[in-house]
Amino acid sequence: MTRKIRKAAVIGSGIMGGGIAALLAGAGINVLLLDIVPFDLTDEEKSDPAARNRMVQNGLNATLASKPSLFMTKKDASLIEIGNLEDDFDKLADCDWICEVIVENLAIKQDLFKRIDGVRKADSIISSNTSGIPLAKMSEGLSDSFKKHFLGTHFFNPVRYMHLLELIPGAETKQEILDFIANFGEVNLGKGIVWAKDTPNFVGNRIGIQGMGFVMNAVVEDKMSLAEVDGIFGPLMGRPRTAVFGTSDLVGLDTMCHVADNTVELCPEDDMKDTMVVPAFVKQLVTDGKLGNKTKEGFYKKGFTPEGKYFKHQIDPQTGEYVEIVKPDFPCLAEAKKMESSADKLKAIVYGEDKGAKFAWKCVSNSLQYAAKRVPEISDTIVEIDNAMKWGYNYEMGPFETWDAIGVKESCAKMEAEGLEVPANVKAMLAAGKETFYKIENGKNCYYDFPSDSYKAIELSDSALSLEVCKADGGLVKTCASASLIDIGDNVYCLEFHTKMNALNEEIVNFMGEVYDFLDENAAGLVIGNQAGGMPGAFSAGADLSFVSKMAHAKEYDKMDAFLEKAQMGMLKMRYASFPVVAAPYGMTLGGGCEVCLAADKMVAHAELYMGLVEIGVGLLPAGGGCLNLWKNYIDALPAGTQKDTDLAKLFVPTFMKIGMAAVSMSAAGAVANGHLVPNRDRIIFNRDLQIGEAKKEVLRMVEDGYAPPRKTRVRVIGREGQGMINAEIFNMLQGGFLSEYDAELAKRIAFVISGGDVKKNTEVTEEAILKLEREAFVDFSKHEKTIARIDGMLKTGKPVRN
Amino acid sequence: MRDAYIVESVRTPGCKNGRGLFKETRPEELLSFIMKACVDKAGIDAGEIDDTMIGCSFPEGEQGINIGRIANQMAGFPESVSGATVNRFCSSGIEAIALAALRIQAGWSDVTMGGGVESMTFVPMGGNTPRPHPEYANENPAAYISMGVTAENVASRYGITRQECDEFAVNSVAKAAKAQEEGLFTEIVPTPAYRSVEQADGTFKREQFLVDKDDGVRAGTTVEGIARLNSPFKAGGVATAANSSQTTDGAAATLLMSLDKCEELGVKPIAKIVAYAVAGCKSDEMGIGPVFAIPKALKIAGLKVEDIDLFELNEAFSTQALYCSRELKLDMDKVNINGGAIALGHPLGCTGAKLTATLLANLKRTGGKYGIVSMCIGGGMGACAVFEMV
Repeated sequence: MTRKIRKAAVIGSGIMGGGIAALLAGAGINVLLLDIVPFDLTDEEKSDPAARNRMVQNGLNATLASKPSLFMTKKDASLIEIGNLEDDFDKLADCDWICEVIVENLAIKQDLFKRIDGVRKADSIISSNTSGIPLAKMSEGLSDSFKKHFLGTHFFNPVRYMHLLELIPGAETKQEILDFIANFGEVNLGKGIVWAKDTPNFVGNRIGIQGMGFVMNAVVEDKMSLAEVDGIFGPLMGRPRTAVFGTSDLVGLDTMCHVADNTVELCPEDDMKDTMVVPAFVKQLVTDGKLGNKTKEGFYKKGFTPEGKYFKHQIDPQTGEYVEIVKPDFPCLAEAKKMESSADKLKAIVYGEDKGAKFAWKCVSNSLQYAAKRVPEISDTIVEIDNAMKWGYNYEMGPFETWDAIGVKESCAKMEAEGLEVPANVKAMLAAGKETFYKIENGKNCYYDFPSDSYKAIELSDSALSLEVCKADGGLVKTCASASLIDIGDNVYCLEFHTKMNALNEEIVNFMGEVYDFLDENAAGLVIGNQAGGMPGAFSAGADLSFVSKMAHAKEYDKMDAFLEKAQMGMLKMRYASFPVVAAPYGMTLGGGCEVCLAADKMVAHAELYMGLVEIGVGLLPAGGGCLNLWKNYIDALPAGTQKDTDLAKLFVPTFMKIGMAAVSMSAAGAVANGHLVPNRDRIIFNRDLQIGEAKKEVLRMVEDGYAPPRKTRVRVIGREGQGMINAEIFNMLQGGFLSEYDAELAKRIAFVISGGDVKKNTEVTEEAILKLEREAFVDFSKHEKTIARIDGMLKTGKPVRN
Repeated sequence: MRDAYIVESVRTPGCKNGRGLFKETRPEELLSFIMKACVDKAGIDAGEIDDTMIGCSFPEGEQGINIGRIANQMAGFPESVSGATVNRFCSSGIEAIALAALRIQAGWSDVTMGGGVESMTFVPMGGNTPRPHPEYANENPAAYISMGVTAENVASRYGITRQECDEFAVNSVAKAAKAQEEGLFTEIVPTPAYRSVEQADGTFKREQFLVDKDDGVRAGTTVEGIARLNSPFKAGGVATAANSSQTTDGAAATLLMSLDKCEELGVKPIAKIVAYAVAGCKSDEMGIGPVFAIPKALKIAGLKVEDIDLFELNEAFSTQALYCSRELKLDMDKVNINGGAIALGHPLGCTGAKLTATLLANLKRTGGKYGIVSMCIGGGMGACAVFEMV
């Protein structure tokens, strides 16, 4: 038998249940979403199916309305069937996976599982998304078969965006079930799997809540303001912008307190449980109903004054009153800002001398202690803890990686000097001469394993190819400050960008030219991709604008044209090269980044893809083949022999609109709808960790299938007939005040380029001709003061200028 | 020149484009039905007709290939009856009636039919393949301007407010709803329509049903209710979906004869066409066309505005209808007494023919003598026909 999830059930349609249902639907799974029949139905409503489904319908509606959207595309909702736990319960018999996401109440859960035990098909999987109730208690007294197929599947909110999925085996869960769900979670749902034990709050929330609890108590002791703390524990320390208190407001103070109280209550053996006792000022906020963003006030209160002015106030932990925010101004933060690497930034903060730095050290050292003491209680390895914090809390580094970054030996010495406890297992590790938790050995990322006092390879699936490991293992073929060519095995190479936001610059363009001959001679194929961090991160945020700005100001138009031509011809050469090129876009893939992908043979895109040709925002147009290749995506979608008789306007207008309106997708599915991704050619994968590995597989598959470069043909265009349409329509938008005069000018010229220039409709022109039109327009635009103002404005403020 | 007399004038209901009851009924079906109904009501033999002139704004696709001839053949008229398609955008229907009348007035024909058709469901406004001339569109884009933008121009240039527009629209709907309730649309012939109904096995079956009233009248529309809509044409503009005409499917036909022929066939004439005029204006404020066309036609007819008993002034947009009425000092009690295109719809090329049928029915009921059909025309024109009851 091959296990499959033909249909999954999600029971409970709240924010988590709805999110899980949306994720499953996005992965193409049929979902049955159930919730209770409302308690307060009138006698008349009791026989009305719509009223009986009101709860689940509202849940689904809320999921559809969520922002940022929990659905990859709203169309996915058609895969979700809704029902209630009375009328539709028997439908669970058809489901291969039943995921429970109901209220955190043991008795109610037990009752539900008992009913499920009665109707489920013999080999179906049952899981609970509980965060605090022991699995063992929930399945008590149920059938053997149930227990063998039962496990914990703990997703994080918002489900679509949070990478973490904690899996908790029950005492009797079959290994086959665990293996299956782990693979399904990783590949189909794109999650990072962390194996947890059946201990309260599992891994992420156990570590996370302790860290937050400690900080909340410490602000009172040390008389710190909330904004000061959030200023420290933000991006400079590799944490999300919302830091500690902002994140609590996001999660909800009630939820956070519940998790903290739960840990204190259920972990009597935890010697640091006192650090999680919620301080009085926080308890008071919860009592007062100040629960965070959902009640409009919590640790922070944001809003508008009667005069319409925006304000944001913070709670003073000493008085419990909202007070003005004073921006934190600690020398350690200024120092950290100067540092390049994350490790140096961290060091600058935790080893600083000011009040903020001391506070940071106090909290960080405590959380490191706590994490070390939880192995093996909550997980067998340090890797699970680090991953949980990275994937569930969006930390750039987990506690043990943080420890490596600030120096294990150095920090332990400081702890000891200050009379702080260094956990015994860490002490022993240092004593054994091991000074880091991680290292790369034999081309593998290894972690320190406490019980065996040795480094063990981190076990990853085959596709989890790490460029960092390849490089460390001697795979670096050629490199420069902006890009590298990496041997990723089997004669496949990866072209990696590594500039800020992976912006494309002259060095990258030159580099692509320089590696061509090497690739032609040695490569089976090429992957263009990178593994930069961030959520969502950036495959490439576009061309390096400062470079364009410099040429525009210096009026170096010949140089500009030459640069563009080099970029265009480089990509064209790759397109028709002897080897397949697969691009692996994820996150922000904008402007030039998008053009690089459009020029490839194929894309293996991550589901979280924000792709678009956005050049018009800075007064430019795609001139790296973007106009040409987006048009080709549209017109090449036509079946053979139908181009000539098709009304090209139906393809031309949407192509023009995507560029003229700078359309950016909100998911890979959205990029398909926009025409940037091509169905049946490009692939969408859910797990970014597997993206480069999957792209490599794709290259090898193309080679195995007998790769030959595409035949170079002329491109059929709409010509002047398309220009007339756009010229007329632009006038309407201009009259309506929807465009500026300059927008209109840009749009008309862009239409001219996409339409193929001064030709009649249906003429076939060379690719080079359209590329030349792109370049000419780009150079002409950059001569215009309004384009220069747009570019400089973007460089200065990061926001588009309308002029 | 002899007179051309109208002996019958009828229309189908007007139904909303895309969502209305005619959404699956082809324009040829609407038109051929109403042409045949017109002849049947007049009680004459279709073989008497010399020519049928049919207005259509976008004579292409389903309403292309000379629908003026196709439809008369579908209606079962003999092969000897000729047919032509006439296009002057929104005045096409009245243009067709005027041309049909002229043939009689010139003595070239004794019996003709004028009419109009537009299925905006099947052929969208602007046509299926709009292709403005690239250079001309760049230098003179107003030649191809969107009608909504012209409506906004009229508002901003002549001081028409959002409040006035919304009130005008609500009034139009209220009049139409009341007239429907009182059964005043006697010019409508209940028209067969079609729909494909999905069967249990997933296949579709085409069914016929009868439509007897305009389906776009939203009784109970209030100024407050439509105040939240935004203008799709201009940021902060005044013309909205609720105070502009509806895009509509419909057809209408009018049968005309010389007096001799009326006597020969024993048919009683209803009215005669006294004058027809068209006038050009700026294309970017095409809505004011009637301001020029109405005085021009009145001059031909030797009449004054005060002499006119009823007006059917096409409500392309509240902005232009308000401006034209104000500028011409029309007595609003005489204008669109049963509501206008905001409530009843504006099936472009059919509108002139449709309004003729409505006007004559209203004149007959109210005992009026003179009536006017007028409208603005895309590209910058106005048209006006003056009728006299006999």
